[in-house]
Amino acid sequence: MTGPGAYLIYLAAIMLSLYAVLRRDGSAGLGLVRALEQSITLLPRMICALVAAGFMVNLIPTEIIGRLLGNEAGLTGILIGSLAGLIVPSGPVISFAIASAFAGEGASAPALVSFITAWSLFAAHRIFIFEIPLLGIPFLRLRMLSVVILPFVAGILALGVTKAFD
Amino acid sequence: MTEPRAGSRGWWTGLLRDAFGPTFWVFAAVAAVLAAATYTILGRDSFEIAMSGDLEILAGMLPRIVAAQIVAGLVWVLMPRDRVTRLLGTHRGRRGLMIATAAGIVTPGGPVSAFSFLAVMAGAGADGGILVAYITSWALLGMQRIVVWDVPFMGADFSALRFCVCLPLPLIAGWIARRCRYTHAAVGLANRADGST
Repeated sequence: MTGPGAYLIYLAAIMLSLYAVLRRDGSAGLGLVRALEQSITLLPRMICALVAAGFMVNLIPTEIIGRLLGNEAGLTGILIGSLAGLIVPSGPVISFAIASAFAGEGASAPALVSFITAWSLFAAHRIFIFEIPLLGIPFLRLRMLSVVILPFVAGILALGVTKAFD
Repeated sequence: MTEPRAGSRGWWTGLLRDAFGPTFWVFAAVAAVLAAATYTILGRDSFEIAMSGDLEILAGMLPRIVAAQIVAGLVWVLMPRDRVTRLLGTHRGRRGLMIATAAGIVTPGGPVSAFSFLAVMAGAGADGGILVAYITSWALLGMQRIVVWDVPFMGADFSALRFCVCLPLPLIAGWIARRCRYTHAAVGLANRADGST
């Protein structure tokens, strides 16, 4: 969320606008009208979702979940790890900090794989800043349907690999 | 400069009807329930801290969301769609999914570059499987994320385990996406936008 990469999107917007204006064929106007339409349609929903996500972070009990993800948890740990990853609505800084906190509470590797996979696929901030504005809700729906099982698959594969090497 | 319909009364009412449709009220209700839960379970202080944190995040994100919308709108208008479509048309089938996965792993830069590239491919008419495989691969296996975040926080052993088990997942996701009813809806986004401009 921070760092120089965060400003790339502004640079991209400025460069594209300049290019569109220089083309002098009305494409700048068309593009900006489309951006305005999309913004008006999506912003009310995004604002609600971001507020909801902020409250959600505080309601997640890190210590209890970390212990639930322990080695003996097995498949349950994978399930809980996937669900926890779903509801962490933040950038890599907080998510990896939470993951290593879970690891410190004794979470197993497969459960952590599920957690990071679920977070990578469903990170809410990325969906709201980039995916919905750039691709639209129909694509989001398609992607959700396609990847919803992946955190479990990753966890089960990881469980198999760790068992094989024990 | 602008299209004739933009700015007219019908244009505004249509937009606002979309903006405050049923899904808006669902999102609003979830936010209210979570706010109430924070207040009752964690107390007033936590509620106020969370609320001000929320406002801070919103203030930080809004300009970037608007910038992303501008990029999306302009990419939409400027892209030579015919040419890119022809280019993508040669990589359908299973090989296409593998190329998309490889592209996701090596895409440099953060979400800006990955999602911009995705938008370009979507606008050019790449099928849903390719799009889903690419962005799934970038999210799970992107080299930059692994080097910058995964290895330092979780250790090289764990990162290697995660990379190996995640390697087949973009192909699975792309395969599922190609079998989804929504594939055409996603690509249909392009047609809808064309109709309105």
